[in-house]
Amino acid sequence: MVFLSVPCWLRSRLTDRFWRVQAVLKHARHFRGRKNRCYSLAVRSVRRAFVKSTKARREKKKFMRMLWITRIEAASLEHRLKYPVFIGNLLKCQVELNRKMLADLAIYEPKTFKSLAALAQRRGQEGILAALGDGKEPEGIFSRIIHHY
Amino acid sequence: MTARGTPSRFLGSVLRNGLGRYVCQLQRLSLAFSPGGQTSRGARGYIEEKVVDFAKQNPGVVVYVTPKKCRCPTVVAEYLNGAVREENIGDKTVDEITQLIQKLANQSGLEVIRIRKPFHTDNPSIQGQWHPFTNKPSALNMQSLGRLEPQPNKV
Repeated sequence: MVFLSVPCWLRSRLTDRFWRVQAVLKHARHFRGRKNRCYSLAVRSVRRAFVKSTKARREKKKFMRMLWITRIEAASLEHRLKYPVFIGNLLKCQVELNRKMLADLAIYEPKTFKSLAALAQRRGQEGILAALGDGKEPEGIFSRIIHHY
Repeated sequence: MTARGTPSRFLGSVLRNGLGRYVCQLQRLSLAFSPGGQTSRGARGYIEEKVVDFAKQNPGVVVYVTPKKCRCPTVVAEYLNGAVREENIGDKTVDEITQLIQKLANQSGLEVIRIRKPFHTDNPSIQGQWHPFTNKPSALNMQSLGRLEPQPNKV
């Protein structure tokens, strides 16, 4: 004889609801308003916070590059050079510094940045002279390209 | 798991350890294991074979071994800056425990949280940090006192 209705009387109850709730609320403690205390509001806010944090990793790279460009632009305008001219001439001189390093140099090593700006300016002048003179080889020193073979 | 929600710190060392002499930052290691019990098997093997060698190789670390009836054998590492790290060594092999304890010995007591930048320097600027007057002519600093004419001789 098998009693089939006895197992149906067993009911399992949730015993660790407190810890499940705390696991969500601990990520919401620094929020503003009731969503740092009340679970239903916190669940929605914490999920949105995580989603935004994931998506922001791509935006952070764009934002940092924009910040560096702004800083380099401001520093090169102090030396009476525009940003595209500065960057273009530096690349023509084979100075492969990226924007992060240029921004750090502009802040912490202003004399180095001044010499880089002077280099870019001179390279610009040599470019103009080469275009005007139409000689076979550009006469300037900074226009010479080093080939690493 | 957001950057503002979880703690973070800057890269640093304890009192420039390693620049002059290297001091092992681990102060004491307390191993609690059970003399019987399946989970403590690896811990017992480690204590039989490896713990004395470890203690000899690291003379600056005090190793306490307490056999007591417990379900979860643990190793508690205390560091010179007061940080305490507890690890469960239940159901681990002797090699895994050796690796874990070596890792604890190599750590400084600084917290294992997100490091904001992988570099740190106390002197970021050699030429002097930029300020709004760096690239301006220094004649802006001049203030004339108005005493440039030669003084008439007092009689």
